[in-house]
Amino acid sequence: MTNSMNDVVKSLEGFNPFIEEIDEREVKVTVSPDRVIAVLETLKANGYSHLSLMTCVDWIDDNQLELVYILFSWKDGGKFIVSTRIDRNNPKFFTVKELWPVARFYERELHEFFGVEFEGNDDMRPLFLELWDEKPPLRKDFDPRDYSRKKFPDRKYEKDVIKEAKIFRGEING
Amino acid sequence: MKERTIWEQIADSFRSRSIWMLHYCTGCGAMELPPTMTSRFDMERFGIAPMATPRQADILLITGYLNTKTLRRVIYTYEQMADPKYVIGFGSCTINGGIYFDSYSTINRLDYYIPVDVYIAGCMPRPEAILEAFNYLMEKIRKGEADGWKRYRENYEWYKQNQIRSLGEVYVHDEFHE
Repeated sequence: MTNSMNDVVKSLEGFNPFIEEIDEREVKVTVSPDRVIAVLETLKANGYSHLSLMTCVDWIDDNQLELVYILFSWKDGGKFIVSTRIDRNNPKFFTVKELWPVARFYERELHEFFGVEFEGNDDMRPLFLELWDEKPPLRKDFDPRDYSRKKFPDRKYEKDVIKEAKIFRGEING
Repeated sequence: MKERTIWEQIADSFRSRSIWMLHYCTGCGAMELPPTMTSRFDMERFGIAPMATPRQADILLITGYLNTKTLRRVIYTYEQMADPKYVIGFGSCTINGGIYFDSYSTINRLDYYIPVDVYIAGCMPRPEAILEAFNYLMEKIRKGEADGWKRYRENYEWYKQNQIRSLGEVYVHDEFHE
């Protein structure tokens, strides 16, 4: 951890975070859901003003969804990964579109692929999928192969042993 | 197959010598087209050139995978093209899904939705394979075997039913189509 990142981590102590050092310039901060917005505000005020990515991880065995915000500082090149876990059966969280307007699109994407609702963000139109009719596709209990079989028929192949033998012997060009 | 009249045979012979290609490049196969078009492999020596709009093109070259969103646009494009029109499926994704065979949004075989005249196998096919496919397609046009557009007209109900089965609805609802 660099010195400037150490100072920022100290300023987060009031939020009772779990700090994990991943790399020299990469720190993971895990906090409870009600403190995330305050942590993000503090980091933004301390120079981590660039929301590189906002994404989600499905922990199906713990019955939780992990929301991940990756913040980047253009001043010292440091990266903060702010993560929190919310209930998987009732995934609701608060929008950060007031802090970063670009989060509107990340939230639409997470709503589409993980089914997370963001309070305060009314625009939840589908972003990538069209006419989706199943559960959110990036959840672990969704079986893409099953869906693909049901919806997109496979090509049927017939085994031709004689032709294969001829290809094998080099008589015809397979 | 029906017997062609002499005029159709002459027309097919001329058609095969001047082919305009519309390339639908959402898949990774688009990468192989610049060397095919430009000086290294130079497909214009065969009388094939790229065309910007579907209404003036003869070949629709589908380069790589199609998902449900792009398949809708491809069907729009294909139906806009004037007869006679030919489709080349490029890469293993159009044949059986390729590495996306179990994807939730990617189709597994193209000829289930629109008729395909020539397939190019491979991931990726080299520019030589593309030129080989063009020559094969020209041969087929001359012989009158490239009749995908006739099949589409005759079996329109079957194709439409398949499209609706996989897509739900073929109509596109977005800001460019409404």
